[in-house]
Amino acid sequence: MKKPDLITDVLGISLKPERVEENLNAYADILQEIAKLRTLDLSDVHPAVIFSPIVVTKGKDHE
Amino acid sequence: MSDQPLWSQPIENLAPEIQAGRLSPVDIIDTLMERIDTYDGEIKSFVCFAPNARAQAETAAAEIAEGNYKGPLHGVPIAVKDNYFTADMPTRAGSNSAVEYPKIDSSCVAKLREAGAIIIGKTNMHEFAWGNETPPTRNPWNTSHVPGGSSGGSAAAIAAGFVPAALGSDTGGSIRIPAGLCGTVGIKPTYGLVGRSGIVPHSWSLDHAGPLTATVADAAFITEALVGHDKNDPGSVDRVKPNFASSLGASVEGMRIGICRNHFFDALQTDVGVMVETAISQLSKLGCKVVEFEVPNLEYGLAAIFAIELASSTAWHDPSLAAGLTADYQSDVRTLVEIGRFVTAPDYLKAEQLRRVLMEDFARAFSEIDVVVGPTLPLTAWRVGDRSVRIGDADESVLAASWRLTYPWNLIGVPALSIPCGFDSRGLPIGLQFAAPPFREVDLFRLAHAYEAKQDWKGARATLQGL
Repeated sequence: MKKPDLITDVLGISLKPERVEENLNAYADILQEIAKLRTLDLSDVHPAVIFSPIVVTKGKDHE
Repeated sequence: MSDQPLWSQPIENLAPEIQAGRLSPVDIIDTLMERIDTYDGEIKSFVCFAPNARAQAETAAAEIAEGNYKGPLHGVPIAVKDNYFTADMPTRAGSNSAVEYPKIDSSCVAKLREAGAIIIGKTNMHEFAWGNETPPTRNPWNTSHVPGGSSGGSAAAIAAGFVPAALGSDTGGSIRIPAGLCGTVGIKPTYGLVGRSGIVPHSWSLDHAGPLTATVADAAFITEALVGHDKNDPGSVDRVKPNFASSLGASVEGMRIGICRNHFFDALQTDVGVMVETAISQLSKLGCKVVEFEVPNLEYGLAAIFAIELASSTAWHDPSLAAGLTADYQSDVRTLVEIGRFVTAPDYLKAEQLRRVLMEDFARAFSEIDVVVGPTLPLTAWRVGDRSVRIGDADESVLAASWRLTYPWNLIGVPALSIPCGFDSRGLPIGLQFAAPPFREVDLFRLAHAYEAKQDWKGARATLQGL
């Protein structure tokens, strides 16, 4: 099996390489913030968004 | 009704006149459309108008004449942001891209119509609610300056005296930021209190719907009309309909207001800091007990909201990305929609874990206070084209500065309201922000109404003279 490409296969990005480069530059400051978040040990904290097995069915008004 | 011009009257003044038959909704529509015709070429707040706006007014007038008065919104023109679906107008979400939306009424628009409001038209927004400037809309207080965003058209339309109220949406501050910069009231109710079906999604767990208005009472009227379970919004809650109007005029003696000195008071423009401290002193004189406190972990909030907002937005826009439609997006929005792919699943989940931490941190704080008070933004409206602004001793990106005091309340989902607290030395409005525990909107309205009653700028609009 072919080794997956990080950009196109793993991240699912189908943009031209120069556009990916521009986007990475734009993401640099945000990544710096996310790097700070990664340092937190929150392993005992349940995420705020909680799964519910109850299906929310759509009504008729806005289907 | 006061002797001020009709276009400048808030709903709280219009409604009794309409109910008594002394003022026709048709006259209101005609007056506002004339003002819009005269000035919106410069302000650029509207993107389209309801073809039947005058007919809606005639219907409302007939209903009221027959004794079927529905309440304070009956016969009142209200605008809606361009990301709310409407049956009689197209929805573009501020975009020129080929993405299409159904011509049906969103849940909020349907509720406004049930309350008798006239949906007059749709307001400009930053494309897909992804920015804080809303080009080409201008700030009515100084048209060289931005109105903020993403609900910039809604705020500008109110500040210009085109409408008494408009709907907005708020994912990181998009109601409160333009409200603060344009000198209007704006509230993001508790997450889930107002149903969002029929609003173009931006970030499902952060998106809130709510009104921008000229006064606090008007915000209470509209929020009350919007509350109700929305079966098509999985985030909607089913609660007993509140009576927000009952809180208006109540004493605030003994209310505990919290001043969170870390994060919310970091790096403010001088005029903003002065006016907010003045407001806190005024609240103290009204009998509020001032409690200073700090909340940990806020320094991680920016990462959390970026991770959630970027990933969610990219997920929603995925079909458009696959179809190549994002090439037609504005450059800044296209980039944001594309870079959500860089947010990893563990980063996203850590952001959701941080939200839980912040919710618990603030829950502890709210056990000792009723309402948190602070600035809505650290700055006033910046000039169109400016990318950074001097705040204190440092330059800061206007985009980073504009939402840093509003997004924490989106992360934890509590209600937050912006109210004008004066003007800076250049005559630009300054916003004061109140936040309360979940489903305690009644405390926001009570405190904001008491504060507003003491200000001579209550309901002030830009005259637009000289345009």
